[in-house]
Amino acid sequence: MNETRDLSLELKRLIIDTLELEDITPVDIDPVAPLFGEGLGLDSIDALELGLALQKRYGIKLDAEAEETRHHFASLNALQSLVEARRVD
Amino acid sequence: MHAALHLEDWQAWSAAQASVAINSQHDISTNPGAAKLPAMLRRRLDEVGRATCEILKTLDPEASCPLIHASRHGDATHTLQMLEALAQGDPISPTRFSMSVHNAVLGVHSIASRHHRPLQALGACGHEFDALVCEARGYLTEGYPAVVIVFSEGPRPAAYQGHAEYPESPCAVGMRLTLDSGRKLLPHDVSQSARPTPLDVIAWLNADTPHLDGQQRWQLEER
Repeated sequence: MNETRDLSLELKRLIIDTLELEDITPVDIDPVAPLFGEGLGLDSIDALELGLALQKRYGIKLDAEAEETRHHFASLNALQSLVEARRVD
Repeated sequence: MHAALHLEDWQAWSAAQASVAINSQHDISTNPGAAKLPAMLRRRLDEVGRATCEILKTLDPEASCPLIHASRHGDATHTLQMLEALAQGDPISPTRFSMSVHNAVLGVHSIASRHHRPLQALGACGHEFDALVCEARGYLTEGYPAVVIVFSEGPRPAAYQGHAEYPESPCAVGMRLTLDSGRKLLPHDVSQSARPTPLDVIAWLNADTPHLDGQQRWQLEER
């Protein structure tokens, strides 16, 4: 459980640092809210940046065109499931 | 003979000083861009980019003027970082790549301000001020009642020390120009052309210097 919570916070910090969300703190990111468009309000460039960060940090390679990538980026919880399942570090 | 250009208003910013214009009415040096730019757009700009947007918003509040932005070196810091990443075989940041065009700051401003008039970004190897004035004259002659020009320079990357001319500190200056309202800009021939930085333009507008030398010598009509 703790590990899950730690990963959640780690991912929030990764998002904030990577995307330079200077006015956002980890508590502002709702784990079930959309990350893109509505919710946090990230855009397509953020998606590419986040994809690169996941590759660097966890060794996860995603296909930017694939429909499943859209699913993985739907919310923080979805992202967390992806990292738990596919991390190679 | 060209119709004379007139300076209706101006704004300045410097990273080094809390106030850069003698009259605070012309100064946006404190915390540039914080209030007027939405956070999700602001985060992609550095300090000089934010100041440029603040100046544009202040001089063109109705988003009705053509806007021209000049910088000799642009965002050299991030361009150099990307080149270094490429040289090492590392992937480059998609965000930085998307912002690595000379008109990136104008683009962010146009989204934030819903500005739909002409936008132009230029660099002119040290002759930015003359180029800005030349382009502004074109829009005014076409019939636009006013044009806003901004001249900015960011920080010099350490690796460029001794290889590139830069102002002492990051800075930006904006002017709203018309053909009939404000103080007249008087051009004179100059024996030796100079390459003014935004700080030189600010010193001239503050009347710290009597004229500004570029490819022409510029004087402001006495009030």
